[in-house]
Amino acid sequence: MIDGTIEALLAVTLVASFAVLVSPDRYAAKLATALSLLPLAGSLVMWSGFEPAGNALVDGESAIGYMSQVEWFDLGGITLQWFVGVDGVAMPLVVLTTVLTTLALVSAWTPISERQSQFYGLVLFLEASLLGVFTALDFFVWFVFWEAVLVPMYLLIGVWGGPRRKYAAIKMFVYTNVASLVLFIGFVALVFGLGDSVATFGLPEITQALRDGVAPDGLPGVGAESLKLFAFLAMFVGFAVKVPVVPVHTWLPDAHVEAPTPVSVLLAGVLLKMGTYALLRFNFTMLPDIATDLAVPIAVFAVVSVIYGAMLALAQTDLKRIVAYSSVSSMGYVILGLVAYTTIGVSGATFQMISHGLISGLMFMAVGVIYNVTHTRMVSDMSGMADRMPVTVGIFVAGAFGYMGLPLMSGFAAEFFVFVGSFQSTVLPSAPVFTGAAMFGIVIVAGYLLLAMQKTLFGEFRLDTDYEVGRAAFHDVAPLFVLLLLVIALGVFPDLFMEMIETAIEPVASIGGGA
Amino acid sequence: MTGTTPFAFEFAPAIAALPFVSFLIALAFGDRMPKGGALGGILATAGSLLLSLWVFVTVSGGSAYVHDIHTWTILDAGGALGDVNLHFGLLLDPLSAMMLIIVSLIALLVHVFSLGYMNDEGETGLPRYYAGLGLFTFSMLSFVMADNLLQAFMFFELVGLCSFLLIGFWFREDAPPSAAKKAFLVTRFGDYFFLIGVVGIIATFGTSRFAVVGDAAAAAFPVEAAKVLGVTEGTATAVIPGGMDPQLWFTILGLLVLGGVVGKSAQFPLHTWLPDAMEGPTPVSALIHAATMVAAGVYLVARMYGFYLLSPTALGIIALVGGFTALFAATMGVVKKEIKQVLAYSTISQYGYMMLALGAGGYVAATFHLMTHAFFKALLFLGAGSVIIAMHHNENMWDMGGLKEKMPVTYYTFLSGSLALAGIVPFSGFWSKDEVLYEAFVHGLGTAGTQGTLLLVAYAFGLLAVFFTGFYTFRMVFLTFHGEPRSDTAKDPHGVRWNVKGPLAVLGILAAVVGLVNMVPVKKLTGANIDFLHKWLKGPEALKAQTSVAHYTDGDTSLLHEGAHYVAGTLAGGEVGTVLISAAVSLGLALAGAGLAYRLYNVPEPVEHTDKLGAAKDVLYNNYYQDEFQVFLAERVTMPLAKAADTFDQSVIDGAVNGVSSVSLFSGRRVKRVQTGLVTNYALLLTLGFLVLLVAMAATGGWF
Repeated sequence: MIDGTIEALLAVTLVASFAVLVSPDRYAAKLATALSLLPLAGSLVMWSGFEPAGNALVDGESAIGYMSQVEWFDLGGITLQWFVGVDGVAMPLVVLTTVLTTLALVSAWTPISERQSQFYGLVLFLEASLLGVFTALDFFVWFVFWEAVLVPMYLLIGVWGGPRRKYAAIKMFVYTNVASLVLFIGFVALVFGLGDSVATFGLPEITQALRDGVAPDGLPGVGAESLKLFAFLAMFVGFAVKVPVVPVHTWLPDAHVEAPTPVSVLLAGVLLKMGTYALLRFNFTMLPDIATDLAVPIAVFAVVSVIYGAMLALAQTDLKRIVAYSSVSSMGYVILGLVAYTTIGVSGATFQMISHGLISGLMFMAVGVIYNVTHTRMVSDMSGMADRMPVTVGIFVAGAFGYMGLPLMSGFAAEFFVFVGSFQSTVLPSAPVFTGAAMFGIVIVAGYLLLAMQKTLFGEFRLDTDYEVGRAAFHDVAPLFVLLLLVIALGVFPDLFMEMIETAIEPVASIGGGA
Repeated sequence: MTGTTPFAFEFAPAIAALPFVSFLIALAFGDRMPKGGALGGILATAGSLLLSLWVFVTVSGGSAYVHDIHTWTILDAGGALGDVNLHFGLLLDPLSAMMLIIVSLIALLVHVFSLGYMNDEGETGLPRYYAGLGLFTFSMLSFVMADNLLQAFMFFELVGLCSFLLIGFWFREDAPPSAAKKAFLVTRFGDYFFLIGVVGIIATFGTSRFAVVGDAAAAAFPVEAAKVLGVTEGTATAVIPGGMDPQLWFTILGLLVLGGVVGKSAQFPLHTWLPDAMEGPTPVSALIHAATMVAAGVYLVARMYGFYLLSPTALGIIALVGGFTALFAATMGVVKKEIKQVLAYSTISQYGYMMLALGAGGYVAATFHLMTHAFFKALLFLGAGSVIIAMHHNENMWDMGGLKEKMPVTYYTFLSGSLALAGIVPFSGFWSKDEVLYEAFVHGLGTAGTQGTLLLVAYAFGLLAVFFTGFYTFRMVFLTFHGEPRSDTAKDPHGVRWNVKGPLAVLGILAAVVGLVNMVPVKKLTGANIDFLHKWLKGPEALKAQTSVAHYTDGDTSLLHEGAHYVAGTLAGGEVGTVLISAAVSLGLALAGAGLAYRLYNVPEPVEHTDKLGAAKDVLYNNYYQDEFQVFLAERVTMPLAKAADTFDQSVIDGAVNGVSSVSLFSGRRVKRVQTGLVTNYALLLTLGFLVLLVAMAATGGWF
């Protein structure tokens, strides 16, 4: 059965990528941006026509929108297949990917001046891979896209990055690749353990088998429970690197600091969500009993990520590192929402993926616009930027308050849902205590962002580099403004996504709360 | 509610929407408009005021309104709670109707005053200023009308944002951005607890509504809580975490929400941001940091008073914090040099009185003092603003003196506000402050055990603060307006125009007379039923059992008796005797304080008598080193901790990674050799390879 919608989405993006790669440098920027409007429009059409009906993995076919499933060939008793589709979790992430890609492309116009066709082509290739990750419903297909993401990302950092780009790119590549290996082993072992109970790598089939209580005892000498635990841990480690969860987070700040602005936008905005998306899809959907057994240690990692990440952000002197570490902190909320295992908590975590994607994208872009004119990101090198760049700074301030979780912006909605969901969790002992501890992050985030803003944006104008500071170009500020409007729109109307998310989460997580 | 919705209520959302429109206009077009967007703000707030008056009249006619406007989202909590409806709504009852008038009236006057303070003084950045005022007014009015705690929290935070933006209005200087940061951060610390409280209340009751009218499916959390405790009849839906004792859990929830109240209403120990907030333009101080935003905390306690009345412990803490803050802040006001600093500490102190009243079961007293204070403190700040214009933005009272003759309108209105602040009969502050102290006193006398003792201690703090209030108020008046001019500017002050004098005159009259709406001592003495405010707060029938003063404090079945177990006691002479003694004592202390100030400072050449206090003065002048303590916490504890975490992260965690990855670095060098440096080729190959793979697989899979 082929629906064709998602194939068209992927194909258009790939073809666009290819076209831009071979186009002359001087057209590449505009061409790539124009072509990226196609997947953007496509995803919006998909979103508006999408009728949420459950969870793609738990409920199977009836809950999958735009589904295509084609069998390819047999491989050792398992049928490989092309299997894609979306549900209420994937749909928002698809929209996030296309929106952020287009805006990131625009934000590249100013900073990227060399090898433009390669740069823009790779960004579009990255987009295609990401769309594949969020729509694939077969492990094999999913893993191909998952790995494919790394290649353009490695090149984008390694070629167009800052002075230590090689180190950062290799660190990111190796770190996340080792993680992929671990999760691959874990998952494949689990599937082999299920033996004849599953005929394909299809995620719905595997999920339903596991949730129906089929014991993965097909591996000789390995008990079903220990295999499940092993698989859970292997996948958790593998995905935690991507999120990243403390203590496997140190590749992230290096990658961010070296990456050019548009790449940082996509790295923080979309790539990190691959990790939390996969955690939700694999660990928390397929192995709920292990997830709830391990609730306390996972919640500890979540709280540590929130507080420790925020403390690290407080200690930074580079604007971009501040935003980078704050991502570690914000993603901790996602883990907390997941582990709560309530519909509200897991839905909130998913909403936080979208919200953080938009807000961190906004912040990285804002820092980038300032960097474009100052050529420094060090807090100590500048002050009073508001005097010279009033519009940019205005949006920066608004975005920073969004990051702090100001109500009527998406960050508040997301964090609030996570907090309510984790507060009433029944699988997490002392849930209110964990929730209260993690919530202290909202104080620290205000601390470091307000401090950074006071030092760099306000006070008398001063800049310790030899550049003439003018106003930013219109095309630098426009994507910021669009993101700000989206952040506010989602803050006032969370149901733009929240309703479909809840529909898809309820079958997964209804066991965790409400007592 | 019976019949159709009164017309006024249909228009109520516009009360908040109008200033929002003026915000957008000022932001987008302010630099192309005359007066930088001020006129839009004036029209909008005037419209809000008219609509608020209309709502007020309608509420007086016995109508109330609870209405959902926009469903934010519906969360599926499962279990006993089911669907949790989170929404934006309106609750229009006597309390919110009164507050709407206060906010919109003062916002209007401040807009007009700003023409004199900002436009006439040639400030730049006016669109930003008026946009900030518009956004603030919108947020504050939305907070006031909120029908649920979540919405209240949201706008509570938004007014904090506006406060940040307006304190830091002069962002090119060093002090205002720093003060703005401190204000947001300190109140954020309080809001942290508040947010846990909101989350907890929603997770417990599945709703955060304050009241419900005409919606059988909805529930209000104070009502549910009362049912859980058996204070009122009925079965309730509530999920208490961990099988905790409901009484204890509700106390914890109440105290968590109180965190936000203490931050916003600048109560000890989170009061330190308010004096710094004086870095903002003076009209902003009048509107935000005196009359309205700071009142948000107190208003919130009053708004959910039905919940607090269920917890004697929370009430006791509110009373004690309030009483202590009233005294503590008043002592610091005694030694300040700058006129706005005196007013800032006075504001903290006065909000302490309101908290004291709420903690002591004086719902009417607290809302009464909230109202009178809003008028007389806005007046005093605007008066100070007028003086500051005259003094070419020198705020030091020791450079003033003798301004009485030069600026009579400012002087007489300022005097009216000062008499109200000091609590001199018959100015408004006397009546309200007296009622606050009276409530604390009688409930302290009548209630047995620790609870009663606590109230008496809080009462003693409050009573002592009356003396200091009288003293610092008149020290300020005499230093500013009396005696000989002590600087050249004071000899020849800058004149002010109608746009300054007009708002002063309006507020000057209000500060003098508004206390007459609730003259409790006169009522008790003569038996005449002239406690109009009290009667009015009894409110419409529809909310009788939810937010009316009858439900809260009146009679033996009220929550005050059933929930908080407060009992009123009397001294010799019964009720009349007690009320007279209480009034006489507080008036006497106020007069004593004012008299001492008269002796010391109403002389041609005053000297700083408080210098004689020696070390004590240093402690007071430095605010009991509270700021130093908080700076110590931030700079000497938190920052080193963050730096240590960073060092740990770089050396230990990342060190381990780099250690393990010496292998990966090696392979990294290999990768580098494989690369030709022509990324084009590399990327192209990758893309092509991937496409080929995909097509091949699709073909074998029978796609084509």
